[in-house]
Amino acid sequence: MRFQAISLLLGAFALTGIGCSTAQPPTRILSDAELNLRAASEARADDLAPMDLQGAREKLVASRKAMQENKYEDARRLAENAQVEAELATAKAEAEIARRTADIVRHRLDPQRSDNERPSTSQPAPTANKE
Amino acid sequence: MQPHSIRDSASLASIFWFTAIFLAIFLMAGCATEVNNPALERARESYTHARQDRDLVARAGVALERARLTLEQAERVWTADKDVVEVEHLAYLAEKRVEIARAVARRRLAVEELQRMGTR
Repeated sequence: MRFQAISLLLGAFALTGIGCSTAQPPTRILSDAELNLRAASEARADDLAPMDLQGAREKLVASRKAMQENKYEDARRLAENAQVEAELATAKAEAEIARRTADIVRHRLDPQRSDNERPSTSQPAPTANKE
Repeated sequence: MQPHSIRDSASLASIFWFTAIFLAIFLMAGCATEVNNPALERARESYTHARQDRDLVARAGVALERARLTLEQAERVWTADKDVVEVEHLAYLAEKRVEIARAVARRRLAVEELQRMGTR
């Protein structure tokens, strides 16, 4: 009877331990991150926010690897990082496109004033994000 | 003999209670002292700084709200579990969300300028 009670207790502890250490595979977060990366590519982040996009891609690869190794907590965190970095790349690319468009329109409306305001616009604009 | 032993036990009891109260105060002070997490503090500072920028709040309020929610989640995990890995992860996400808000605000600013030029 005593032995049974001890076995029952040990079993309960073991089950609690397994419950704590087992996480679900973060498949949805991973597919969301993939979508965010595609959106970033479509927003021309390859040209306009290359560092953020590269970071996001690396995190996605690392997340897939962690999934294969059944390290689901690591995979989730890496996928969430990839997701937010891809989102940042998109936001930076869109901001840069809007800024360049505004520069072009300003220049067309008033070339002289535009040149005085922004003497560096005669030089080729850097393609990488500046933040 | 009897009064002497009563006095002894009374002084023992007072020493016991004094020690107990002292320990309780000491332990409570220990619990109340906030242990800092540098990543969380950095994220908090980044968010607070962004929040003080009126233009940023006006142009990227929703993006900034997302940063706040992530920051709050990090604060909750830190208070409840002191899970350093998870808190650092959430703090990183919160900082990135503040950066997203800044980029959104820059885009809106450029769009507003385009609209102004279009109506000239």
